[in-house]
Amino acid sequence: MKATKVLVVDDSKLLHRMFEMMLRGFPLVHAFDGREALDRLAEHKDVELILLDINMPRMNGLEFLTAVKAHPEFARIPVVIITTEGTEDDTERGMQAGAAAYVKKPFRNEELLSVISRLTASPAA
Amino acid sequence: MAAPEHLPPRIGSALDELRATLSRAAELARQIEGKAEPALDLKSRLADVESDREELSAKLAEYEHQVGRLMNLYVATYQLHATLDPGEVQATIAEIAINLLGAERFVLLFRKGGKNESGECEIAFAEGLDESPAAFYRNGIYQGGDPALDATLADGVLRIGPLEGSEAMAVVPLTVQGTPVGALVILKLFDHKAMLRPEDRDLLDLIAAHAASALFAARVYSQADRKLKTLESLVALVRRQ
Repeated sequence: MKATKVLVVDDSKLLHRMFEMMLRGFPLVHAFDGREALDRLAEHKDVELILLDINMPRMNGLEFLTAVKAHPEFARIPVVIITTEGTEDDTERGMQAGAAAYVKKPFRNEELLSVISRLTASPAA
Repeated sequence: MAAPEHLPPRIGSALDELRATLSRAAELARQIEGKAEPALDLKSRLADVESDREELSAKLAEYEHQVGRLMNLYVATYQLHATLDPGEVQATIAEIAINLLGAERFVLLFRKGGKNESGECEIAFAEGLDESPAAFYRNGIYQGGDPALDATLADGVLRIGPLEGSEAMAVVPLTVQGTPVGALVILKLFDHKAMLRPEDRDLLDLIAAHAASALFAARVYSQADRKLKTLESLVALVRRQ
């Protein structure tokens, strides 16, 4: 079975390293802000899941999410927001913008893996 | 009661039939009892298997939790030592504080002049400090006066709150060869993280052990590199003349 390709969008190198460790077996595409993420999506049209931070330079996560959901080709890709912005308002804003799930940092690995398994219908490594 | 041979033939045969039925019933009862024992045994075995399954699933959850904890420690250590750029090391310490510990407000302090000095501490990095009610930190300098922080800067011991007379939730010493050269002071966690968890203690210990040496090494390298470049320019200048 073909592994799910995941786009990781976060300005923290530490978290990119963390996702590499957590998601062994998933091909990862990395971007450090929203604008770079849009470029990566254009290059990797087979991305099937996006893990997205909110606070980023140049283009923040919500702007990126809005752009993705307005794009006919990318709108179907489930987006998991992973952020320190943890109020109910923040969560609602993210979900209204079209996120499939909302995970607050710091997260427990098993919590994120369970969300990924649910969205990709395949057990996360 | 009359003996069967003295009973009329009809009643005698009915009694024989009744005896035979009773005997068959007794035989059936014995058979059922014999079958009930294995059923009870199976029930007991099933209960054992279910209990083992629950124990294994608890162990698996604990194992996954430990893997996650170790992964955090590994990634934090790896990233701290992945660069010789002092700015990047500082950024990594901040990323660990924000993303792995859930610190919303914190300050990273370093003694001016490094480990050979015991003077005031400069603020190397701070997040959300404008909202801090205490006036311990001004003009890029820790002014002194927080009892827990002063104590940690003196004895190099990790302190986790609540700390009397201090607004800090945790004061993490940064030591180089056993000498405190600064501290990471966690002033507030994100609202969705109520308190520091037991596994956070490992991360705090890791920061205490690795952050200062990583930053110290990066600063020494950066200074040496700057001096080397200056010398190379001087040599090139002399050669041209």
